[in-house]
Amino acid sequence: MNKSLSRVFTLTNRNLKEIIRDPLSLIFTLALPLFMEILFYLIFHDLTEQFQMKYLAPGIVVFSQAFLTLFTGLLLSTDKNTSFLTRLYVSKAKSYEFIFAYALSVLPITLVQSLLFFLVGGIFDTSLFGLGMMLAIILSVVTSLFFIGMGILFGSICNEKSIGGVSSIVIVGQSVLSGMWFPVDGLNEGMITFMNVLPFRNATMLIQNMIIGVNDSFNDFILPLLIVLGYTVLAFVVAILVFKNKMKEK
Amino acid sequence: MQAIKINNLTKEYKDVVAVNSLNLEINEGELFSLLGVNGAGKTTTIKMLSTLVKPTSGDALIYDYSINKDADKIKELIDISMQETAVARKLTVEENIEFYAKLSGQTKEEIEETKKYIYSSFELDKVKDKKASKLSGGWQRKLSIALALVTKPKILFLDEPTLGLDVIARRELWNTIKELKTKMTIILTTHYMEEAEALSDRIGIMKDGRLLFVGTKEELFIKTNKSKVEEAFIEIVSGGELNE
Repeated sequence: MNKSLSRVFTLTNRNLKEIIRDPLSLIFTLALPLFMEILFYLIFHDLTEQFQMKYLAPGIVVFSQAFLTLFTGLLLSTDKNTSFLTRLYVSKAKSYEFIFAYALSVLPITLVQSLLFFLVGGIFDTSLFGLGMMLAIILSVVTSLFFIGMGILFGSICNEKSIGGVSSIVIVGQSVLSGMWFPVDGLNEGMITFMNVLPFRNATMLIQNMIIGVNDSFNDFILPLLIVLGYTVLAFVVAILVFKNKMKEK
Repeated sequence: MQAIKINNLTKEYKDVVAVNSLNLEINEGELFSLLGVNGAGKTTTIKMLSTLVKPTSGDALIYDYSINKDADKIKELIDISMQETAVARKLTVEENIEFYAKLSGQTKEEIEETKKYIYSSFELDKVKDKKASKLSGGWQRKLSIALALVTKPKILFLDEPTLGLDVIARRELWNTIKELKTKMTIILTTHYMEEAEALSDRIGIMKDGRLLFVGTKEELFIKTNKSKVEEAFIEIVSGGELNE
């Protein structure tokens, strides 16, 4: 195996173990969103369309990804502040290998999240099963990259104490600005435009549209995808620059 | 044979000269202790030698490889244990060793050999299945230092290896370092004078980025008219009267 690839694999394996052996990460990325999915469906699905499973399950998938920002950031900031990363820098591993490893280690969790929340959603509403669900699961990997990129960025900047607070910006952003917990129709136009230029609502709509179907391919698929990808690329570029800079400072 | 040859090594930060025109030679197989008060430039020196920080000017040769030009070659020859305990906390002791060994490109057979070597040198086999976070401070520090040996370096940098350890754990670690001394060149920084006295072949004393003294304990005692490293150290850094 290529030496660089082998190092990325070794680092990824270690990172994944560190994350999944933290019970809190499993609670926040899997148990809590699952509890919310079932609870909100059971209480509200007859009252408002918002909480029917075809909207709720995709929304929960993206909402749960917001916690990946916290746990990716927490791992990186801890590694940085305990000098673990500094020590690894004496190995031949390069900055980009570390970044890849942090990102790749979270992707299996993303897949488990999508599978779990869609399968449980499908138990309550069997119409979810089908090609749309498969596409939604694949696209959820794309949307997760935005949250992972933000985690790497925040983890490079913050220490272990501040990472929780800073990451909550993304979690709150996803909760409030995704439009998954309340209907956006009643909001004023300025607020809707604000939500539309940020990645949170676009990521949620993108996954929801895979389940409910795409009527207008540009507005329902291409535009939200481009916006999410744009923010993802931006998050990773800034994260790599900040990460390299921070390591130089060390 | 010289393991390290430092020529006018300087590191400047915005308005601070952390290391100022350092010249020093360290022999192969030697345990060299760098002493100094906080901010003396010990850690910056180690970070430059281990290619973690680029010097502002000057150079150092590690087995004839330049820290400015041959970082990748140097990384094959050295390893470092930082002041902070740097281990993967949720991995077991065994997984930590395997992780570092794999990262350095060792084969399965080499990893097994490395594990045996580390277990026998540090008695870590007693706790090999324990997660690093569950170990006591002394064992965590032991693991942290042990990991620096996974790559079987020719030169080992130990930055404040016993910082924060209790007396018993410190003495145990001294014994381990004494064992290592026979196998590689060690550059150690410490605030504990008795540590330098017990372990070092030669001592360097730094203040404000400058090297004020280099020599053996005996030479230090003669130069300062003192009989303890601590007293001699105070004499030198406080600018006391010295013998030629």
